[in-house]
Amino acid sequence: MYGSLDISTSGMIAQRDRMTAISANIANRNSVMPDGTPYRARRVHFAPGDPAATSKQGRQWGVHVAQVEIDQSPFNMRHDPSSPLALKSGPYKDYVLEPNVNPVVEQVNAIQAARAYEANAVAAESSKQMAAQALRLLVG
Amino acid sequence: MIQDLANAGALPVLEKSLRFASARQRILVNNIANSDTPDYRPLDLAVEGFQSELRRAIETRDRDAGAMGMGRGSGPDRALEFQRTREIDFLENGTIKARPRTPSGNILYHDRNNRDIERMMQDLAENNLAYRTTVELMRRENDTLRIAITQRP
Repeated sequence: MYGSLDISTSGMIAQRDRMTAISANIANRNSVMPDGTPYRARRVHFAPGDPAATSKQGRQWGVHVAQVEIDQSPFNMRHDPSSPLALKSGPYKDYVLEPNVNPVVEQVNAIQAARAYEANAVAAESSKQMAAQALRLLVG
Repeated sequence: MIQDLANAGALPVLEKSLRFASARQRILVNNIANSDTPDYRPLDLAVEGFQSELRRAIETRDRDAGAMGMGRGSGPDRALEFQRTREIDFLENGTIKARPRTPSGNILYHDRNNRDIERMMQDLAENNLAYRTTVELMRRENDTLRIAITQRP
Protein backbone atom coordinates (compact mmCIF):
# COMPACT_ATOMS: atom_id res chain seq x y z
CA MET A 1 0.00 0.00 0.00
CA TYR A 2 2.91 2.34 0.67
CA GLY A 3 4.10 1.48 -2.82
CA SER A 4 0.86 2.89 -4.23
CA LEU A 5 1.50 6.21 -2.50
CA ASP A 6 5.02 6.34 -3.94
CA ILE A 7 3.63 5.82 -7.43
CA SER A 8 1.07 8.61 -7.08
CA THR A 9 3.74 10.93 -5.70
CA SER A 10 6.02 10.23 -8.66
CA GLY A 11 3.10 11.12 -10.94
CA MET A 12 2.49 14.38 -9.09
CA ILE A 13 6.19 15.31 -9.24
CA ALA A 14 6.32 14.61 -12.98
CA GLN A 15 3.22 16.72 -13.65
CA ARG A 16 4.59 19.54 -11.53
CA ASP A 17 7.84 19.46 -13.54
CA ARG A 18 5.77 19.73 -16.70
CA MET A 19 3.87 22.67 -15.19
CA THR A 20 7.20 24.36 -14.39
CA ALA A 21 8.28 24.04 -18.03
CA ILE A 22 4.92 25.44 -19.21
CA SER A 23 5.24 28.39 -16.81
CA ALA A 24 8.77 29.04 -18.08
CA ASN A 25 7.50 28.98 -21.68
CA ILE A 26 4.74 31.48 -20.95
CA ALA A 27 6.99 33.71 -18.87
CA ASN A 28 9.62 33.78 -21.64
CA ARG A 29 7.20 34.50 -24.46
CA ASN A 30 9.18 37.60 -25.42
CA SER A 31 12.63 36.70 -24.12
CA VAL A 32 15.88 36.84 -26.03
CA MET A 33 18.71 34.57 -24.97
CA PRO A 34 22.13 36.08 -24.07
CA ASP A 35 23.50 35.13 -27.51
CA GLY A 36 20.77 37.16 -29.21
CA THR A 37 18.59 34.27 -30.43
CA PRO A 38 15.00 34.08 -29.20
CA TYR A 39 14.01 31.70 -26.42
CA ARG A 40 12.96 28.22 -27.55
CA ALA A 41 10.00 26.47 -25.92
CA ARG A 42 10.73 23.59 -23.53
CA ARG A 43 8.83 20.32 -23.87
CA VAL A 44 8.78 17.75 -21.06
CA HIS A 45 8.63 14.05 -21.99
CA PHE A 46 7.63 11.29 -19.59
CA ALA A 47 8.71 7.66 -19.40
CA PRO A 48 7.45 4.82 -17.17
CA GLY A 49 9.48 3.80 -14.09
CA ASP A 50 10.87 5.91 -11.30
CA PRO A 51 14.69 5.97 -11.07
CA ALA A 52 14.43 7.99 -7.84
CA ALA A 53 12.82 5.08 -5.98
CA THR A 54 14.95 3.57 -3.23
CA SER A 55 14.17 -0.09 -3.91
CA LYS A 56 14.77 -2.11 -7.06
CA GLN A 57 11.13 -3.19 -6.93
CA GLY A 58 9.98 0.40 -6.69
CA ARG A 59 11.95 1.56 -9.71
CA GLN A 60 9.74 -0.33 -12.16
CA TRP A 61 6.61 1.51 -11.00
CA GLY A 62 5.64 5.14 -11.31
CA VAL A 63 6.65 7.74 -13.87
CA HIS A 64 9.53 10.15 -14.36
CA VAL A 65 10.62 12.96 -16.65
CA ALA A 66 12.73 11.28 -19.34
CA GLN A 67 13.96 14.48 -20.99
CA VAL A 68 13.29 18.15 -21.41
CA GLU A 69 13.38 18.75 -25.13
CA ILE A 70 14.16 22.16 -26.58
CA ASP A 71 11.58 22.76 -29.28
CA GLN A 72 13.36 23.20 -32.65
CA SER A 73 10.29 24.37 -34.57
CA PRO A 74 10.67 27.71 -36.43
CA PHE A 75 10.45 30.99 -34.57
CA ASN A 76 7.49 33.33 -34.76
CA MET A 77 8.01 36.52 -36.76
CA ARG A 78 6.86 40.03 -36.06
CA HIS A 79 7.13 42.94 -38.47
CA ASP A 80 8.94 45.75 -36.64
CA PRO A 81 11.45 47.76 -38.76
CA SER A 82 12.27 50.08 -35.85
CA SER A 83 13.55 47.29 -33.61
CA PRO A 84 17.32 46.98 -33.25
CA LEU A 85 16.84 43.19 -33.41
CA ALA A 86 15.11 43.32 -36.81
CA LEU A 87 16.72 41.26 -39.59
CA LYS A 88 18.82 43.54 -41.80
CA SER A 89 18.63 41.51 -45.03
CA GLY A 90 17.10 38.44 -46.64
CA PRO A 91 13.47 37.65 -47.50
CA TYR A 92 12.38 38.47 -43.93
CA LYS A 93 14.01 41.91 -43.80
CA ASP A 94 12.54 44.15 -41.06
CA TYR A 95 11.07 41.17 -39.20
CA VAL A 96 11.97 40.38 -35.59
CA LEU A 97 12.32 36.71 -34.59
CA GLU A 98 10.31 35.85 -31.51
CA PRO A 99 10.21 32.71 -29.30
CA ASN A 100 8.34 29.72 -30.75
CA VAL A 101 5.90 29.73 -27.82
CA ASN A 102 2.24 29.45 -28.70
CA PRO A 103 0.26 30.71 -25.68
CA VAL A 104 -2.85 28.74 -26.68
CA VAL A 105 -0.91 25.49 -26.82
CA GLU A 106 0.75 26.28 -23.48
CA GLN A 107 -2.60 26.99 -21.80
CA VAL A 108 -4.07 23.73 -23.07
CA ASN A 109 -1.01 21.83 -21.83
CA ALA A 110 -1.29 23.60 -18.48
CA ILE A 111 -4.91 22.49 -18.07
CA GLN A 112 -3.96 18.94 -19.00
CA ALA A 113 -1.09 18.92 -16.50
CA ALA A 114 -3.32 20.31 -13.75
CA ARG A 115 -5.98 17.67 -14.37
CA ALA A 116 -3.42 14.87 -14.44
CA TYR A 117 -1.99 16.19 -11.18
CA GLU A 118 -5.49 16.15 -9.69
CA ALA A 119 -6.07 12.58 -10.84
CA ASN A 120 -2.86 11.53 -9.09
CA ALA A 121 -3.90 13.37 -5.94
CA VAL A 122 -7.24 11.54 -5.97
CA ALA A 123 -5.45 8.22 -6.44
CA ALA A 124 -3.15 9.02 -3.50
CA GLU A 125 -6.19 9.90 -1.40
CA SER A 126 -7.77 6.56 -2.30
CA SER A 127 -4.63 4.62 -1.28
CA LYS A 128 -4.44 6.61 1.93
CA GLN A 129 -8.05 5.80 2.76
CA MET A 130 -7.40 2.11 2.20
CA ALA A 131 -4.35 2.18 4.47
CA ALA A 132 -6.36 3.98 7.16
CA GLN A 133 -9.13 1.37 6.86
CA ALA A 134 -6.63 -1.43 7.35
CA LEU A 135 -5.18 0.38 10.37
CA ARG A 136 -8.61 0.43 11.97
CA LEU A 137 -8.35 -3.36 12.25
CA LEU A 138 -5.81 -2.79 15.00
CA VAL A 139 -8.07 -0.44 16.94
CA GLY A 140 -10.52 -3.29 17.39
CA MET B 1 -6.68 -24.41 18.66
CA ILE B 2 -6.20 -20.64 18.51
CA GLN B 3 -4.39 -21.05 15.22
CA ASP B 4 -7.33 -23.00 13.88
CA LEU B 5 -9.61 -20.12 14.76
CA ALA B 6 -7.54 -17.73 12.67
CA ASN B 7 -7.21 -20.11 9.72
CA ALA B 8 -10.80 -21.24 9.49
CA GLY B 9 -13.94 -19.87 7.96
CA ALA B 10 -13.91 -16.57 6.14
CA LEU B 11 -10.62 -15.12 7.37
CA PRO B 12 -8.27 -16.73 4.80
CA VAL B 13 -10.70 -15.75 2.05
CA LEU B 14 -10.77 -12.16 3.28
CA GLU B 15 -7.01 -12.10 3.55
CA LYS B 16 -6.64 -13.22 -0.06
CA SER B 17 -9.13 -10.58 -1.20
CA LEU B 18 -7.29 -7.90 0.73
CA ARG B 19 -3.98 -8.84 -0.82
CA PHE B 20 -5.50 -8.93 -4.27
CA ALA B 21 -7.09 -5.48 -3.84
CA SER B 22 -3.80 -4.14 -2.55
CA ALA B 23 -1.87 -5.46 -5.57
CA ARG B 24 -4.52 -4.16 -7.96
CA GLN B 25 -4.46 -0.73 -6.32
CA ARG B 26 -0.78 -0.44 -7.12
CA ILE B 27 -1.40 -1.27 -10.78
CA LEU B 28 -4.35 1.15 -11.11
CA VAL B 29 -2.41 3.95 -9.44
CA ASN B 30 0.48 3.27 -11.80
CA ASN B 31 -1.86 3.65 -14.77
CA ILE B 32 -2.98 7.04 -13.51
CA ALA B 33 0.61 8.18 -12.90
CA ASN B 34 1.44 7.18 -16.49
CA SER B 35 -1.61 8.78 -18.08
CA ASP B 36 0.63 11.17 -20.06
CA THR B 37 3.47 8.76 -20.85
CA PRO B 38 3.98 8.04 -24.55
CA ASP B 39 3.89 4.34 -25.54
CA TYR B 40 2.49 3.31 -22.14
CA ARG B 41 -0.42 0.82 -22.16
CA PRO B 42 -2.57 0.64 -19.02
CA LEU B 43 -2.41 -2.68 -17.15
CA ASP B 44 -5.00 -4.41 -15.02
CA LEU B 45 -5.63 -7.57 -13.01
CA ALA B 46 -8.89 -9.28 -13.95
CA VAL B 47 -11.21 -9.39 -10.94
CA GLU B 48 -13.24 -12.19 -12.53
CA GLY B 49 -10.18 -14.42 -12.80
CA PHE B 50 -9.35 -13.92 -9.15
CA GLN B 51 -12.92 -14.45 -8.01
CA SER B 52 -13.46 -17.65 -9.99
CA GLU B 53 -10.22 -19.14 -8.61
CA LEU B 54 -11.19 -18.07 -5.09
CA ARG B 55 -14.61 -19.67 -5.53
CA ARG B 56 -13.00 -22.89 -6.71
CA ALA B 57 -10.63 -22.87 -3.71
CA ILE B 58 -13.47 -22.33 -1.23
CA GLU B 59 -15.62 -25.06 -2.80
CA THR B 60 -12.73 -27.53 -2.78
CA ARG B 61 -12.01 -26.79 0.88
CA ASP B 62 -15.65 -27.18 1.93
CA ARG B 63 -16.10 -30.38 -0.11
CA ASP B 64 -12.98 -31.96 1.40
CA ALA B 65 -14.15 -31.06 4.90
CA GLY B 66 -17.59 -32.49 4.12
CA ALA B 67 -16.07 -35.75 2.83
CA MET B 68 -14.33 -36.22 6.16
CA GLY B 69 -17.66 -36.09 7.94
CA MET B 70 -17.17 -32.67 9.42
CA GLY B 71 -19.17 -29.55 8.96
CA ARG B 72 -18.71 -27.08 6.19
CA GLY B 73 -15.56 -25.07 6.58
CA SER B 74 -14.15 -27.28 9.32
CA GLY B 75 -11.92 -30.33 9.51
CA PRO B 76 -8.19 -30.78 9.84
CA ASP B 77 -7.38 -30.09 6.20
CA ARG B 78 -9.13 -26.77 5.97
CA ALA B 79 -6.35 -24.71 4.41
CA LEU B 80 -7.47 -22.65 1.48
CA GLU B 81 -5.55 -23.92 -1.55
CA PHE B 82 -5.38 -20.99 -3.93
CA GLN B 83 -3.94 -22.24 -7.20
CA ARG B 84 -1.65 -20.05 -9.22
CA THR B 85 -3.54 -18.39 -12.05
CA ARG B 86 -2.23 -16.84 -15.24
CA GLU B 87 -2.15 -13.44 -13.54
CA ILE B 88 -1.73 -13.86 -9.81
CA ASP B 89 0.37 -16.01 -7.55
CA PHE B 90 0.21 -15.80 -3.75
CA LEU B 91 3.76 -16.54 -2.61
CA GLU B 92 4.63 -18.32 0.63
CA ASN B 93 6.32 -15.25 2.11
CA GLY B 94 3.10 -13.29 2.05
CA THR B 95 3.73 -11.26 -1.07
CA ILE B 96 1.78 -11.51 -4.25
CA LYS B 97 3.28 -11.97 -7.68
CA ALA B 98 1.16 -10.27 -10.29
CA ARG B 99 1.43 -10.49 -14.05
CA PRO B 100 -1.05 -7.86 -15.18
CA ARG B 101 -2.20 -7.77 -18.79
CA THR B 102 -3.27 -4.98 -21.03
CA PRO B 103 -7.01 -4.80 -21.50
CA SER B 104 -7.68 -3.86 -25.11
CA GLY B 105 -10.53 -1.69 -26.19
CA ASN B 106 -9.90 2.00 -26.11
CA ILE B 107 -8.57 3.98 -29.05
CA LEU B 108 -4.88 4.81 -29.30
CA TYR B 109 -3.97 8.45 -28.93
CA HIS B 110 -1.25 10.11 -30.97
CA ASP B 111 1.37 9.25 -28.36
CA ARG B 112 0.43 5.54 -28.65
CA ASN B 113 -1.15 5.45 -25.19
CA ASN B 114 -4.72 4.15 -24.97
CA ARG B 115 -5.56 5.86 -21.70
CA ASP B 116 -9.15 6.22 -20.54
CA ILE B 117 -9.30 8.42 -17.46
CA GLU B 118 -12.98 7.72 -16.67
CA ARG B 119 -12.38 3.97 -16.69
CA MET B 120 -9.27 4.43 -14.53
CA MET B 121 -11.14 6.44 -11.90
CA GLN B 122 -14.04 3.99 -11.90
CA ASP B 123 -11.69 1.05 -11.37
CA LEU B 124 -9.97 2.95 -8.58
CA ALA B 125 -13.27 3.68 -6.81
CA GLU B 126 -14.42 0.08 -7.22
CA ASN B 127 -11.17 -1.30 -5.86
CA ASN B 128 -11.30 1.09 -2.92
CA LEU B 129 -14.85 -0.06 -2.11
CA ALA B 130 -13.90 -3.73 -2.41
CA TYR B 131 -11.01 -3.16 0.00
CA ARG B 132 -13.22 -1.30 2.48
CA THR B 133 -15.84 -4.02 2.37
CA THR B 134 -13.22 -6.68 3.00
CA VAL B 135 -11.72 -4.80 5.93
CA GLU B 136 -15.17 -4.24 7.41
CA LEU B 137 -15.98 -7.96 7.12
CA MET B 138 -12.67 -8.76 8.78
CA ARG B 139 -13.56 -6.46 11.65
CA ARG B 140 -16.88 -8.27 12.11
CA GLU B 141 -15.09 -11.59 12.13
CA ASN B 142 -12.67 -10.33 14.77
CA ASP B 143 -15.53 -8.88 16.84
CA THR B 144 -17.29 -12.25 16.79
CA LEU B 145 -14.12 -13.96 17.98
CA ARG B 146 -13.67 -11.45 20.75
CA ILE B 147 -17.25 -11.88 21.92
CA ALA B 148 -16.69 -15.63 22.06
CA ILE B 149 -13.51 -15.16 24.06
CA THR B 150 -14.69 -12.51 26.51
CA GLN B 151 -18.27 -13.92 26.64
CA ARG B 152 -19.86 -10.51 26.46
CA PRO B 153 -20.95 -8.54 23.43
